[in-house]
Amino acid sequence: MKIMHSLEHFPDYCRVENYCHSERSEEFPHFARTATLSAISKKALRRTVALLALVAATATTQMGRAQLGGQFSGQFGNADAANHPKSYIVYAAESQTIPANRRAMLELRFQVVAGFHVNSHTPKSELLIPTTLTLQPASGVKVSPLVYPAGETYSFPSAPGEKVDVYKGNFTLKLPVVATAGEHSIDATLRYQACDNASCYPPKTVPVKILFTAK
Amino acid sequence: MMAAGIALVLWSGWHNLRERGAVHTQQPSHIVQPSGQAAETEASESAESPSPLLGKSAPAFTLLNLDGKKVSLSDFKGHPLLINYWGTYCGPCKVEMPWLEEFNKKYAASGFQVVGITYDSEVGKATIARATKQLGVTYPILLSDAKAEADYLSGTEILPISFYIDKTGKVIEVVAGQGRKDEIEDKIKETIAAGSK
Repeated sequence: MKIMHSLEHFPDYCRVENYCHSERSEEFPHFARTATLSAISKKALRRTVALLALVAATATTQMGRAQLGGQFSGQFGNADAANHPKSYIVYAAESQTIPANRRAMLELRFQVVAGFHVNSHTPKSELLIPTTLTLQPASGVKVSPLVYPAGETYSFPSAPGEKVDVYKGNFTLKLPVVATAGEHSIDATLRYQACDNASCYPPKTVPVKILFTAK
Repeated sequence: MMAAGIALVLWSGWHNLRERGAVHTQQPSHIVQPSGQAAETEASESAESPSPLLGKSAPAFTLLNLDGKKVSLSDFKGHPLLINYWGTYCGPCKVEMPWLEEFNKKYAASGFQVVGITYDSEVGKATIARATKQLGVTYPILLSDAKAEADYLSGTEILPISFYIDKTGKVIEVVAGQGRKDEIEDKIKETIAAGSK
């Protein structure tokens, strides 16, 4: 088979807690910096990031098979390929502490794997699938509508006149919340659809767990 | 950590090579990333892992078209075919499809036929029909099912992906990702010729 595009593959992050932490800190220097500024112990950060960081990996039709960690997948002749969908977005959350019982903003940081892009929340075409985070109700937490970042204009090399609106590299969603004092967890799902310069990949829906402390 | 960093660097270089191959060169690289491997280097550009369908008879299918009628591979028996998997959300697919429409007409006298199969049938016929109309596509558009996906895609998620099938029903080429227009036409010519040998 001839492949006319880049295949997605990258190290199998976040399947081992400490490994996940160290790798993510390299790739997301901001996260490590934030942790330092927040005076969070390295051990606590490692544990927290390991819990939170996951790689978007599960196809919409495969919700029951969400995978932690990216997967290398053979394109053909590999029975595991269907069971281990490929990954295009990494979610890496730092430990966040917000004031209790007051409106505060959680920042949810994602990274699109290099060489790929995903549609923004407003992709400018009804046929394109927007990146959307859906939140589940959480006890003690009131959420306001998510704030999605603006995308950037992108054109496929073969169609320079057609503009789409995408996220590339790092992007951050902001979630306004009011939470009671204590540790909180919000379950969410991220739906997105990725492409590279010459190919696209089916939409995926992956679980995201948002952990934070209000005090 | 070091290994992962090196892998990322290598991956990045390989990825760029892939893009150059896809977009800028006459001879795009032919490569499949085997499961479990960390990264490819330039040297591995010559590697190629063929689709399991290559050289074999195209798997039979019976799928619904946008009018709700059943269409089978056997309906095209004796015709050189290009079976093109695509999705309504797939930009590169929609770049290729007008080219395929053009070639479908240009080589009709040779019995050549393009058959589109929609990967995202769940969006509904109306959306698919609207998309194909916008693209000016008139060749048959079929709605994929699980069996056809298993038989043809074998777990790959790449769109577009094209299967070139000669008039004897043998798969002679499989191309994943958007190709160049002239390359697609060359493969169509090869497909027509192959069935004539």
